[in-house]
Formats: sequence, structure tokens, C-alpha cells
Amino acid sequence: MGASSMFWRIERRLLTANYGRLFVILLALGAGAAVTSALLNLQIDAKKRLTTEFRALGANVIVAPRETNNTDSGSSTLDEGLLAQLPTQYEAKPVPAVAFLYVIGEVAKAGTIHFDPAVIAGTEGHGLTEIRPGRRTEYLADVENDPSACEVGAKAAAQFNVHAGDSLQLRNQGREASCKVFALVATGGAEDTQVFTKLKTAQALDDLDGRISLIQLSVTGTPNSVKSFISSLSQRLPGADVHGIKQLSEAEGRIYDRISGLLSATVLLVLFLTSLCVMAGMSNVAVERKNDVGLMKAIGGSIRRVVRLFLTEAILLGIAGGLVGSAIGIVVSIWLGIAVFGVAAQPRWIVYPVSVTLTVIVSIASAFPLRRLASIRPASVFRGEE
Amino acid sequence: MFLRLVADSFTRRPRRKLLSMAALAMGMSVATAALSVSLDVGDRLAKEFRSLGANLLVTPQADSLPLEIGGVDYRPANAGAYLPEEDLGKLKTIFWRFNIMAFAPILEVPVQAWSPTSKNWSNPGVVGDTTLIGTWSEHSVPIPDGTSYVTGIDKTNPWWHVEGKWFTEGSEQCVVGTAFSKKSGVKVGDTLHVHAGDVAGWRPLKVVGILSTGGPEDNAIVAPLTIAQQLANKPGQYRRLYVSALTKPEDAFARKDPKTMTPAEFDTWYCTPYISAIALQISEELKGTDVRVIRRVAEGEGNVLTRVRTLLWLVTFAALLAAVLAVGASAAASVIERRTEIGLMKALGANSGLVGVLLAAEQLLLAFVGGGIGYAVGIVLARVLGERIFGFTPEPKLFVLLIVLALAALITLLGSAYPLRQASRYDPAPILRGE
Repeated sequence: MGASSMFWRIERRLLTANYGRLFVILLALGAGAAVTSALLNLQIDAKKRLTTEFRALGANVIVAPRETNNTDSGSSTLDEGLLAQLPTQYEAKPVPAVAFLYVIGEVAKAGTIHFDPAVIAGTEGHGLTEIRPGRRTEYLADVENDPSACEVGAKAAAQFNVHAGDSLQLRNQGREASCKVFALVATGGAEDTQVFTKLKTAQALDDLDGRISLIQLSVTGTPNSVKSFISSLSQRLPGADVHGIKQLSEAEGRIYDRISGLLSATVLLVLFLTSLCVMAGMSNVAVERKNDVGLMKAIGGSIRRVVRLFLTEAILLGIAGGLVGSAIGIVVSIWLGIAVFGVAAQPRWIVYPVSVTLTVIVSIASAFPLRRLASIRPASVFRGEE
Repeated sequence: MFLRLVADSFTRRPRRKLLSMAALAMGMSVATAALSVSLDVGDRLAKEFRSLGANLLVTPQADSLPLEIGGVDYRPANAGAYLPEEDLGKLKTIFWRFNIMAFAPILEVPVQAWSPTSKNWSNPGVVGDTTLIGTWSEHSVPIPDGTSYVTGIDKTNPWWHVEGKWFTEGSEQCVVGTAFSKKSGVKVGDTLHVHAGDVAGWRPLKVVGILSTGGPEDNAIVAPLTIAQQLANKPGQYRRLYVSALTKPEDAFARKDPKTMTPAEFDTWYCTPYISAIALQISEELKGTDVRVIRRVAEGEGNVLTRVRTLLWLVTFAALLAAVLAVGASAAASVIERRTEIGLMKALGANSGLVGVLLAAEQLLLAFVGGGIGYAVGIVLARVLGERIFGFTPEPKLFVLLIVLALAALITLLGSAYPLRQASRYDPAPILRGE
């Protein structure tokens, strides 16, 4: 008991004897811990965030009828009810899903008589703009909820000379409908030549009540989690063919691997460098301790006891610096998330214990030069020889 | 005397000097590696993004509306407008010609196909209606300046995998989609006879590969463009052109309408590889075309690239900061260690200025040697990183060396400045007494 309280009294003295020095060490350890936790948190967050950014590429999963025969568009369709069976969330991220029914019909601007053939796509679901990324050049929000609202691709709009607010006449094999244009959209793809109506309108035109051509989904996740989404969905929908869009999945997989590899490598380098920096700072301090060690040995302190004293000091410093520094680092990474992705990085609590542990390990490792002090001969230290 | 003192301090305690040099070199090597990789990575990633396929689509301006569903055009072959194939070499003459990575023209023809080997003899292998996509693979395009450029659909659409090989230009060969092959039983080595609308006779094509794309092409036949042109009776013409270009992600400036720009702004915009600027340059060269930006590809690429670049600069900055701290700390340590020496020099009559200059000279020498070694190690590190992650080797850049050396010198001086200032204020007597 007496020995132990003596130990802690010396320990306290070691720590508080020189506040300037204590401050410098804590600063070094704390800065190291802050960089570590900020980068670790940002790295985890960035990888997740990247998968979200990839969704700017649009739909990546398609639910289509089995045995599609592309030469005959009308023959194979799916039941509209499938849309309701799709999960609305996956890994806590919403999954936009839109059902399409394609009809090749004839279109004319209201009031004109010249009809031209065009693809009419009936759509229903949520997140059409995420499924079909593009730019809306004109947009009237108040017309959008009209039951006969429609959106026109840029090329089609130029062909029919329509703008938002105009009306279109649609017809197909004697069936007729009309719709009010609420937006013009430019995607650069086939969508530029299509007319997007409500699903009901297209179904009425094609006399296919309750049928759809396909469903497009935009699933957020790493390449592997998208793969497992596809396989679980195709088990749940045995009547349909669920597949990923190879163009996107392949490129995304490659790019994701590259970026996450690069991030991990650079973060690892920085962590290594940070611990090096902290070690350099700490071993300075160890050298300064020569006199203390000499004195302790001169008055009969055993080597083990002396080393234990310094190790305890290192661990205490590591814990203190780590606790404060890592917390600061996580706060910093939230802010960095805003700077890089425009969205606050989500703090991940696993990062905190990891970075505190790392700091303690580094601080113990940097106390290692103190072992050399064990071989110090007190006399020569006091003579100022070493 | 001065030089001898500096030299002496290196030879007398080589181990200490080696240690601080090692710290410096390590810090600087990480800084070098991070800098070289960050400088190159934007270009590398932009190239990786080309695996997403074309980001520009060229169609005839005076075209009727394509009736395209799932990538198949349902227009009859004689409807709509066509573009001349011979103009395509001009793509490599635009201002940003080196940013045009690949392009491929497409001409689709609805055909009937049958193969004598596709079914057993009691069921003659009439496959029925399908689409023949005429395009280029490994096609050599003559360029107006006299050279030629090899490109094709295998470059614009790298996710199209062929089991077997691609057809050779100018031969009677084709590849068939995997769904088509499964349905009809046509295999590599078989002969497929195709026949289109009003052109008489069956044309035999040798199947040299099975194509899988995950798209509607899986149900089609892909053959050289010339064959499609002959089948459609449209010699030298195509309907759609896919262009894959390296671009700079669009920023607020790029989204401005070029028509409202001042002449100076327009020049800047025109001479920046924004996708919209490249689109304009292509439409200037290929008359009568409508060049559209495939938004999902261009914007997805832009978003990710901008984010990753910022992120990497941030990590590089953190690496530099850590290097600065490491080197600064070791510089400070080396000065603190030499308090006794400084005391002795001062006791012998050196003034603070001379001591400062002497130590600074030592530190600078250390910085240049350590920085140089660090640069060399860093280049190797950057190579390893580049090869492991991207399969490329970043070019060693001279200005990275300059930055690293300047940084090393600055940091060692800064790191030793504070202890030096203190050292110059030392009263020699207590130091020499060991206090």
C-alpha cells in the first residue's frame, strides 16, 4: 500500500513537474490522435458517400419480364402490382423505383393535325429524376400533379415544337388521349426522344390495363451489396428477370476499387507518418529524463520500477491525449465532410476507441527509448558525460 | 573554420545525424509520394471513368424521331437521316483532339437470320427476325493530316465482352449476342446467313465470337459497318456515333450559356476540355449533326471526380502537415541535445549570431541530403502505389523535387528556430555546469 501510494505520488510529480512539457506532449499526442480519427472517419464516410455519388449515373437494376423478345415490344409485360412488392429501402437508403410501359404511338401538338410517331413512356413510381438523370430545361411545378401531366424529351419537344404549359395529343390504334406538358428534359440518351406520361395514360393507349414493360431501380451500395440486392430480389420475384446494368456495375466496381484503394493507402501512409511524428516528439522528452533516471537509480530504485514508472506515464499521457484528440478529430471530420461532399460526415463510433488505442500504442512505443536509460550509470549522468 | 565545424559535427556524431536525417527522409518521402500520386490521379481516374462508355452521342440534325426502346430502334430502315462515315477522321482534328479517346459509328439493320448448324436437321435452323448492328472494331480511321487512328466499339464500350474474338474489318465475320446464341444454338465457328428487307440473297457470315453486354445487344448480331451498310443499302453511312472523351468536370462557369459569354470568357471556355465545349467543337467539324451530352455519364463522372480530387488533396495536405510536424520535432530535438555544445561555443567567445548561423547551416545541409533521399524513396513509393492501385507508374516530376527540398529546408529551419533562439539566449555558465 505504501509502495503503491509512493508510486502514484512520483507519477503525479513526473506529470505535473513541468506544465510546459506536459502541454507539448499532450499537444503532440492529441494532434496525432485528431489526424488519425479525422482521417479514419472521413475515409469510412467517403467510401459510403461515393456509392451515393455513383447514383448520379441513374438506374442500375432492371426488373424485366422473363424471356424478353426484343423484336416484339408489346408481347411480354409484367404485372403492375410488382412495383408495390419492391423494397423502398435498402441498407437505410431509399431505393427509387419507377415502372415503365413503352408504347409506340403517334403524337401531335394540340391544335395541329400533323401526327408523328414517337415512343410514349408511361411511368409510375417514385424518384423518376434519380432513375433518369438529366436536366429539366423547363419546369412547371403546378402542372406536375395534374392527372394528365406529361414530360417531353428535348429532341421530341423540338420536333413537336412544344414548351412547358402546352398540350399534346396522343393516339395509338384508334385510341386517343391528351396530356399537358409540365417539363422538358435533356438526358442525352434515348429519353430525349420520348414522351413521359402517367402510367394510366399509356396503359389506356395500348389497351394494356395493369401491365408494365419493366421497372428500373437505383440501388445505393457497394458493388457487392448491389449484387446481393439483385439476388435476393430475384428470389422474391420468381416471375421476373432481375438484372444489373452491366455498363454501370462494371465501371462502378472498377472505379470504386481504385478510389477506395487509393484512399486506404494514403490514409495508412499519413497514419504511419503521424505516429512517427508523435514518437519523435516523445523520445525527445525521454532524453530529457536522463537526470531523473540517474537520480532514481542512485537512491536505489530498481530498473523495473523505473521503467514501470515511465511506462505508466506514457499510458496515462496516451489515454488523455487520445481521448481529447480523437474527439476533436471526429468533430473536424464532420466539418471536412461538408467541405468535400457538401454533407456532414456521419461520425462512426468505432473510430473513437480505435484511434484512442492507436494513440496509446504509439505513446508506449515512443517510451521505448527509455529502456536505454536502464543502462545509464548514475555517476556519469551527474558528471554530465552522457 | 566554419566549414570545419559543420563537417566535424557530422563526422563526430554520425549516429545522431543519421537518425534525424532518417526522420527527415521518411517525412519527405511520404510527402513526395502523396504529391506525385495526387498530381497524376485526376487524369488516371478520368481515364478509368471512360469504362462507363461514351459521354457524347452524335445523331443527324434533320432526323425523324428515333423510336428507340431498350436500345433498339423500331424505325423502318429507310426512315430518318444518315451521316457520312468518311467525315469521322475529322474528329481527331478538333482543338481537344487528344481528349477524344474513342468513337464508334452505329448502323442498325433489321434482318432475318438462319444457320444450317443451329438446329438438328429435322428442324431447319430458322432463327427469325433480329437486329444486325454494324459498327467498328479495331478500325483504322484515316485522319486528314495523313495519319490514322485505331478505334472501335471495343474501346467505347469496354463492358462488351467477347468470348472468342472480335470480327476483323473487311471480312465476312460477325459476333452474336449471348441470348441470341442460346436461343438459336449458334456457336463460334458456325456460319450464319442473314438477309435484310429488299436486298436480294442470303449473306453468309462466320461467327467468330459470342458477345455479352447485359443489354439489348445480347439479342443481336454485331458485324462490320460495311456489311450493315450493304445490307441496308446505305453505303458509307451511319445513324449514330458514340464518342468517348476525356473531360474536365463541369463547374459553375461551364454551366453558363456560351451565347451569353464575353469573347474572353468564350475563349477560356472553348479552350477548356469541358464536355459542352468538346460537343460544340465536334458539331463544328461534323456538319449537320446534333451532338448531345449523355448526361448521366458526364454528370456521374463529374460528381465523383470532383469529390475524389478534393478528398485526395485533403489527405495530401494531412500528409504534408504530419511530415512538417515530424521533421520539425526532430530538428528541435537535435538543437536541444546540443545545449552543452552551444554553451561551450559561447563560453569560448562566439556570439549568438554565429552560433545560429552555424546550426542553421548544419540543419540546411541535413534538410537537402534528407530531402533528396526522401524524394528518391518517395518516387519509388509513388510507383508502388500507382502500380498497385492503377497499374500505371507516375512520372517523376522535377517540380515535386523542388517543392520537397524547399519544404524540407523551410521546416527544419522553422523547427529549429525556436530552440535556436532560446539557445542563443543561454547563459553558458549554468549549461556547462549541467543545470
